[in-house]
Amino acid sequence: MASIRLSRRKIAAYIADELIAGRNATRQLAAYLVETKRTREVILVVRDIESALAERGVLVADVAASRDLTPEAKQTIADFLRQTTGAQDVHMRPHVDSDLLGGVRIDTPGQRLDQTVRHRLNQLTASKI
Amino acid sequence: MDYLTQFAASETGADSDILSTLGIHWELLVLQIVAFLILVWALGKFVYPWLMKQVDERQAKLEESVRAVEEAEKKAESAQEEIAALLKEARREAKDIVTTAKDEAVAMIASSEMKAKTRADKIVKDAHEQIEKDVIAARKTLRNDTIELVALATEKVVGKAVSADIDNKIITTAVKEQA
Repeated sequence: MASIRLSRRKIAAYIADELIAGRNATRQLAAYLVETKRTREVILVVRDIESALAERGVLVADVAASRDLTPEAKQTIADFLRQTTGAQDVHMRPHVDSDLLGGVRIDTPGQRLDQTVRHRLNQLTASKI
Repeated sequence: MDYLTQFAASETGADSDILSTLGIHWELLVLQIVAFLILVWALGKFVYPWLMKQVDERQAKLEESVRAVEEAEKKAESAQEEIAALLKEARREAKDIVTTAKDEAVAMIASSEMKAKTRADKIVKDAHEQIEKDVIAARKTLRNDTIELVALATEKVVGKAVSADIDNKIITTAVKEQA
C-alpha cells in the first residue's frame, strides 16, 4: 500500500470499511499519506471517508450551535438525520460558535442545513437592494 | 422816286380835269399800278413761296406738336391706366402678403403654443418620473437602512437576551420543522 498511489475514493472506501468492521485504520492512513507525500490532501480524504461511511449507513455530522446542545436537542437532531438520510448510525461532532447567535447548523457529506440566527441575518442583509 | 415827284408837280397847274380835281394823275397812277404789279410779281415770285413754305413748315411743326401732344396724352393716359393697374395689382399683392403673413403668424403662434405645451407636458412628465425615481431610491435606501438596523439590533439583542433553554427549543423546533 505504501508504494502504490491510490485514488482518494479507493482510500476512503477502504478506511470506511475498516472503521465499520471495528478496526481503527487511522494510523495506517496517516502513514500512507506521509509515505506518498499527500498530507495536504488529508482534509479531502477525511471528507471522502465521511461520504463513504454515509453510503454505508454511518453518518458523521458536524453540528454547530452558539451554546452546548442539550441531550434532548441532540436526540432530536439525530432522529432528524436518521429520518432524512436513512443512516442507521449517526455520529455527531458538536462544536460551539458564539458568532452563530442561536439556532443550529448541521453539515453532512454533501449537504448543509443552516438554521442559525446568523444565517437568517445574513439572508436578510443580502436581500438589500 | 424824286423824278416822279417833280413830274407830278410840273403837271399840276396844266391839267385841270376831273382827275386833277380829284388829285389823281393818270401817269402817276399807271406808274403806281406798274410798280404795284411789279411789287405783286416780286412778292409772288420771291416772298410768298418762302413765306408759304415757312407757314407750311410751321403748320407741319404745329400739327406734329399737336400729334406729339396727343400721343403724349394717350401715353400718359395709358401710363396712368398701367399705373392704376400696377397699383391695383400691388394693393392686391400687398393684401395677399398681409393675409399670408397673418396666417403664418397665426400658424406660428399656434405651433409655438403647441410646442410650449408639449415641452411643458414633457417637463412635468420628467419631473414626475424623477420624483418617482427619487421616491423609489429613497424607499430602497430606507429599506436597506432598516434591514441593516434590524440585523444589527437583532444581533445585539439575540446574543444577550436568548437563553440556552430558548435556544435549544428553537433548535428543536427548527429541526422538527425540517423533518
